Amino acid sequence: MPPPLRSPSVLSSTPCCANQLCRTTGQSSRPFSTTPRHDQRVTRARRGLFRWLTLQGENFRNPLSGSTNYMGAYDNKLGVLKRVLEARDQRTLERAGKGEVEPEKTNGRSAEEKNIPPETQRDRVPFPHNKMFISQAVLSEELREEIWSQIMKEGQSVREVSAKLRVEMSRVGAVVRLKEIEKEWKRIGKPLARPYSRAVMSMLPQTPFDPHHIVSHESINDLPVHASTGQQIFHPTSESRQFTRQDAAKVFNKRLLPADDRIPHPELVIQHRERVTEGLSVEERKERAELRAAEAEEKRERKATREAEAEAMVQKVESGRWEFRFTPINTDDAGKDGRGRRGVGWRYGVPLYDRSRGQIKIPKIV
Amino acid sequence: MVVKIRLARFGRRKAPFYNIVVAQARTARNSKPIEVLGTYDPIPKPPTDGEGKPFKDIKLDTARAKYWLGVGAQPSDPAWRLLSMAGLLVPKYRPSATPTPTPTTATSIIAEASVGANKEVNAVVQ
Repeated sequence: MPPPLRSPSVLSSTPCCANQLCRTTGQSSRPFSTTPRHDQRVTRARRGLFRWLTLQGENFRNPLSGSTNYMGAYDNKLGVLKRVLEARDQRTLERAGKGEVEPEKTNGRSAEEKNIPPETQRDRVPFPHNKMFISQAVLSEELREEIWSQIMKEGQSVREVSAKLRVEMSRVGAVVRLKEIEKEWKRIGKPLARPYSRAVMSMLPQTPFDPHHIVSHESINDLPVHASTGQQIFHPTSESRQFTRQDAAKVFNKRLLPADDRIPHPELVIQHRERVTEGLSVEERKERAELRAAEAEEKRERKATREAEAEAMVQKVESGRWEFRFTPINTDDAGKDGRGRRGVGWRYGVPLYDRSRGQIKIPKIV
Repeated sequence: MVVKIRLARFGRRKAPFYNIVVAQARTARNSKPIEVLGTYDPIPKPPTDGEGKPFKDIKLDTARAKYWLGVGAQPSDPAWRLLSMAGLLVPKYRPSATPTPTPTTATSIIAEASVGANKEVNAVVQ
């Protein structure tokens, strides 16, 4: 039987716990501990724990500044950053190739510590056993400020800003809304949780903002998966037929738009085609872009006018609690027998099946 | 027999929905009417823009309603309330404390109501 370990029986919560545990002559912080003596034996697991605490554990007690500090980034045996080891090996190889003598170890260590190579995707694995989980970058403070100012100050559209800064449109919208709230809080003097934000941001990978070199934050033109496209369909067509994406969309669902129109930024595809395939000059491309913008604007205006006209037809009457909205209709729409599909109101002489068996009442499409 | 403008309750339990109908006074409430003038959904819906009062939807063929009032159809009290809100009748019950004498049907119809009945009588669905 191995001799009992002469060390504190309970882990203390102080940050220097590793040192305390490893001290062989240490006094127990709880001299009247009720833990049985035989539970404090030196087991293999215990030795492994102390070994880990002195090697890798040290890295987490004094975390790196300006970088993520995940377990996956460290070498298991030496407890040194994998990227630092690789850089060291690279340098050794280079030196060996040139025939130089290796400098003293102390100098090398200090130089390495000063310039740690930038982290890669491999270093962003917080859970070593789950290699598929990679910590994704968040928007840096400067980038968020830039998004807000481009939209609220310069008056650019969300679509433009999204394409330019390579951030998804929904995220751009969220950033603008949250920034507005932040500025409102600053204006009314509500305190912000700055220390918390700094602490969290220092631990996460970030997408920096540099006006001369835009770093892509995420893929912005992904095709959203529509529920109708989830099914497998065997659809025979003739060989001579050109079966395009438009046709495929129609096969999935009659009302489904083709994939080219469902992507968030169809204009990027058009721009790329004009530049690469058609080889148009800058002026021509600009002209076409303006034409497209004018067309879209006209379409939007037409829709707005139509909606405004419909809204103007509605007569609104305010009462104490409610607003009554009188929408004009035409009784002739119900047809001669009063059963026409476009007629309003509960229909007479038509059975309602909503209470019979097998009727699905919850909406299938939202 | 008297022709009335009244509400016919449809919908479900605790989910009322009314047809505004023109019907003979002695026929059953939900029987087939002479004509359906519109609908009234008494369940208030939250405001679409998130501010303001909740609203109740009413659909009404004003021209036909004017016609029927012009030829002497008698609105029930709830129907009178709705038609007066639409500006076809003088309100019967005012929110003010002093009660006003109830106007008779013929005089209370707003002058333009009878003028506006421009549709043919033949259009009535029988």
